[in-house]
Amino acid sequence: MLSVKNLHASVFDTPILKGLNLEVNAGEVHAIMGPNGSGKSTLANVVAGRPGYEITEGTVEYQGKDIREMDASERAGEGVFLAFQYPVEIPGVSNMAMLKAAINSLRKYRGEGEMPAAEFLQLIKEKAALVEMKQELLKRSVNEGFSGGEKKRNEILQMAMLEPTLALLDETDSGLDIDALKIVSKGVNALRSPERAMVLVTHYQRLLDYIVPDYVHVLSDGKIVKSGDKSLALELEEKGYSWIEQELQQAS
Amino acid sequence: MSIAADQTQSWLDQHPGAPLAGAGASWLDSARANALALFERIGLPGVRDEQWRYTNLRALKSKLYQPAANSQSDWSLPESDHPRFVLVDGVYNAGLSNLEGVAKGVQFMPLDDAVADSRFDLETRFGSTLPAQQHGFSALNTAYCQGGYVLMLGAGATSKSPLEVLFLNSATDSTADASAISHTRNFIIADANSQCTVIERHQGTDGSVYLHNTITEIIAGDNAHIDHYKIQQDSCDAFHIGGVFIEQARSAQVKTHNLALGGLVARNDVRASLSGEGAHIEMNGLVFGRGRQHVDNHTEVVHAVPHCTSDEYYRSVLDDQSRSVFRGRIIVAQDAQQTNAEQQNNNLLLSAGAEADTKPQLEIYADDVQCSHGATVGQLDPKSLFYLNSRGIDTESARALLTFAFANEVIERIAIESVRDEMTQLIAGALLDGMEELL
Repeated sequence: MLSVKNLHASVFDTPILKGLNLEVNAGEVHAIMGPNGSGKSTLANVVAGRPGYEITEGTVEYQGKDIREMDASERAGEGVFLAFQYPVEIPGVSNMAMLKAAINSLRKYRGEGEMPAAEFLQLIKEKAALVEMKQELLKRSVNEGFSGGEKKRNEILQMAMLEPTLALLDETDSGLDIDALKIVSKGVNALRSPERAMVLVTHYQRLLDYIVPDYVHVLSDGKIVKSGDKSLALELEEKGYSWIEQELQQAS
Repeated sequence: MSIAADQTQSWLDQHPGAPLAGAGASWLDSARANALALFERIGLPGVRDEQWRYTNLRALKSKLYQPAANSQSDWSLPESDHPRFVLVDGVYNAGLSNLEGVAKGVQFMPLDDAVADSRFDLETRFGSTLPAQQHGFSALNTAYCQGGYVLMLGAGATSKSPLEVLFLNSATDSTADASAISHTRNFIIADANSQCTVIERHQGTDGSVYLHNTITEIIAGDNAHIDHYKIQQDSCDAFHIGGVFIEQARSAQVKTHNLALGGLVARNDVRASLSGEGAHIEMNGLVFGRGRQHVDNHTEVVHAVPHCTSDEYYRSVLDDQSRSVFRGRIIVAQDAQQTNAEQQNNNLLLSAGAEADTKPQLEIYADDVQCSHGATVGQLDPKSLFYLNSRGIDTESARALLTFAFANEVIERIAIESVRDEMTQLIAGALLDGMEELL
């Protein structure tokens, strides 16, 4: 589904990713871990098409299509979704209006007609319940005055509404208390399906207690240096990232 | 004779035999004579006047004018449940108006009628709200005003239904030697505990060239509540010079909404004098500039006594080569302790050719006051754009949505739902086809 080969990328001219390879198949959940500055968030943002994040070498294919020249809205049209580490506040645009605009844009991209209003209302009611989002927050401006946990739940709500085939979750767990983490995880788990892949970027093993990944990758200095199953995350938790770095040094 | 004096004389020559409102009332005749004398002395303002420094009047001054001809008769007005006062080219049009159904204690009439009836005592009120230092346009307005509306509210009178005033400007012939000019003078005189909402609409056909010079004087008595809307949709080739001058007594609550969408050059002065304790003024403004439009807003709040509050919120959205100027002056007199004054002016530039000038001006002579002001000039936030893009919303739609959101902060302050919806439709529709459906 997602095939990243020898990816080199710069953020505003600073090289961050230095030859990254990653293969993600439909139905799989991959966790990307690693120390600060290793390039975890950059990977998620490059795949989502953030301006200023430039691919200098390598390829990114999604469902067989080269997506490097597509802008972020086209990638979303293809089914890519990024849950932001720091969701943006947009005063003056209500959550409802943004979601309606987003759904209809995606449908237009895919050559479908607009979603009927009643269907939209039914859908949002159902999905808001999934992430325990109060109805009043739907009418408020996007993320404005939301608590940290509410913002992250709102990201998952958007994901649930837009039904992407590839969800990139950029440190969705950071800053969440245990109750919020459980709600967010419940939302994410509900969206796991054989047709959908997920890439979880996380700094903490804790998230993986609630969302159990099929694969865990460790990123260091812009490359994946170690991959394994969920037990790798537990080992990391125990031994810390320095363990990987020491291993690397010994190898070289 | 200097060039300036030549021009002044030429301006005076352009008003031969204009129909004047209230002709024959000796007090008004003498007020007009004084205004003419003043105009002869000061002429039209120019870039050397501090308050007109950024107002480009070159195009306005390059035209020749003659009194508007009241030439268009085929008006088709939208239905309205509200009492409606219609002026065509500055003159009251009884046929198009509907003054039925005003509430008890409320009188809604043409300026002529109010001048003629001494019970309304317009003599002492006419010009009473104008600043001591007038500019040439307000002098011309006094000298030549042809018509206007007068709204009188007796003590305790409440008009539940908004009162609508339409200033219609006839389509002009682009081959004519002279452009149409009209001057209107309006009054809202609200006695103690009265309440009303007035919606002024200024309209003209695009492509028409005319100059409308209009002043509305608002005199709010003790605890009167007045909401004043000015929806300016003049022709994008027209000139609009407007003034809203307000005098507020004890606890009077006045809100002004100034929605400036039209005009090639539009200048609006809003001034409130808070002279009774507990008075509150809210000034909201939205500029939506496109093409080569130039829109100026000059506000002034005078806190003359203690315990008054003022809240100003002006925003501009500027595209293409358009330009806006905001000057916000707040004066807090030495005795005006416990004043609370707020002022915000935010400008959004959508193109490299657009320009915003903003000038907050606080003059505070009291020592126990709370005054805050903020001014920003910026562009759409790239982080927000990416956020919307990442949800599948293309860049053009995302820009339109964010631009609407910026303007919506002012639209949300509109208390009347129908006007709020109308503005939403208007702005959203202008930004992106079909966007109004989303909101």
